Amino acid sequence: MNISEDTRTRVTLNEHGVDNVHSTDFPGEYPDFDDAWDFKKFKKNFRIDMIKMNDDELEFDMVGIDAAIANAFRRILLAEVPTMAIEKVHIYNNTSIIQDEVLAHRLGLIPIKADPRLFEYKSEGEDFSPEDTIIFQLKVKCTKNSQAKDTTDPDEMYKDHKVTTKHLKWIPMKGQDTIFKEGDLRPVNDDILIAKLRPGQEIDIRVFCNKGIGKDHAKFSPVATASYRLLPEIYLKSPVTGALAEKLQSCFSPGVIVIDTENGNKVARVANARKDTCSREVFRHDNLKDLVELKKVRDHFIFSVESTGILPPDILVEEAIKVLMKKCQDFILN
Amino acid sequence: MNAPPTFESFLLFDGEKKITIEKDTKVPNAAIFTVNKEDHTLGNMITAQLRKDPQVLFAGYKNPHPLEHKFVLRVQTTSDYSPQEAITHAITDLISEFSLLEERFKEAVREKQEGDMI
Repeated sequence: MNISEDTRTRVTLNEHGVDNVHSTDFPGEYPDFDDAWDFKKFKKNFRIDMIKMNDDELEFDMVGIDAAIANAFRRILLAEVPTMAIEKVHIYNNTSIIQDEVLAHRLGLIPIKADPRLFEYKSEGEDFSPEDTIIFQLKVKCTKNSQAKDTTDPDEMYKDHKVTTKHLKWIPMKGQDTIFKEGDLRPVNDDILIAKLRPGQEIDIRVFCNKGIGKDHAKFSPVATASYRLLPEIYLKSPVTGALAEKLQSCFSPGVIVIDTENGNKVARVANARKDTCSREVFRHDNLKDLVELKKVRDHFIFSVESTGILPPDILVEEAIKVLMKKCQDFILN
Repeated sequence: MNAPPTFESFLLFDGEKKITIEKDTKVPNAAIFTVNKEDHTLGNMITAQLRKDPQVLFAGYKNPHPLEHKFVLRVQTTSDYSPQEAITHAITDLISEFSLLEERFKEAVREKQEGDMI
């Protein structure tokens, strides 16, 4: 790879720093490249590879895109894809030891499984309506278990001493029961501990869920994490053999370097640079640091999206694209 | 309590305009766009896209104050082009990029789902 190609497309990891971090592929920057944006060129180079996809995790490679777009995308996922979360709490009775405001805050952070696309934003100052609000009731009273004998285990001694999300009961608003079935609107997990009670204590609460975005409050964020990293590249400048090969292997994450045996000799080979954490540990060893080159591909983003369970991660990504698209369209219209 | 309302970061105040354009009088073909209720997400993306345009001589943005929810974008172009045109082109390019992204993403999801079934 020649020098200008290298500075254009790779981030270099050195012993004492990281070089060529910024995109430099702008028109006029390199005499031998035409960097003007062109849709055909973009279409040819751009690709998405799905690596892992299940109900709450997604990993995909986005290749051939600018860091600004990849970052916009990540920021939208974190802060601007809407979800439903508990916004108002009416406390009728709370004789538990957890204070009202702490309890209300804890309730707010519970992920609510409800499709936010089916709801509207609630406008400031207006009353709750079936289009923008979900109501749950939390009414629990702890009692003594009269059957329990010779035990100190609170699970056996008391009934309902753990208030969890399974106690949240959906109260349909006018007309909501025709659109949603029992079980459509509920907390994502049934086993989130909200409060602990002792006999005689009780909680009687009504909570109101509204639609919102992560920018407003983190409880509305639809993702547990959404992040990207660049694809690492590792080059061995000369063959690394014997004990040195083993030392090289131990400098990287498991699976990055494998050791082959050639004519009874141990020879190190880069098997899967993708698994590397880019720790640069190798540069701490004087006999190894001149043998390797560490780089990252500047336009190869490994995205990982972890959903809170409200929406599947692939839907979240599609929603994020829609939000971005809408932002751009609004910009043109104004 | 003097905390500003939480919706302040994304809802326009009454009578507030989303974008205001101001001509930069110091240099020809330059304009300053003030975009309200937007942040680095859009600012950085548009700036990067503008820099990909050979007729744009300068593109840069700043967030004047972290508590003010706006960014200021300055664009300077060559004489046969205007900053407004540059912005319009940049945004239409971005929109076409997102359409392709959406299309390719859906394709990738479908392929993965079909692959998992077998």
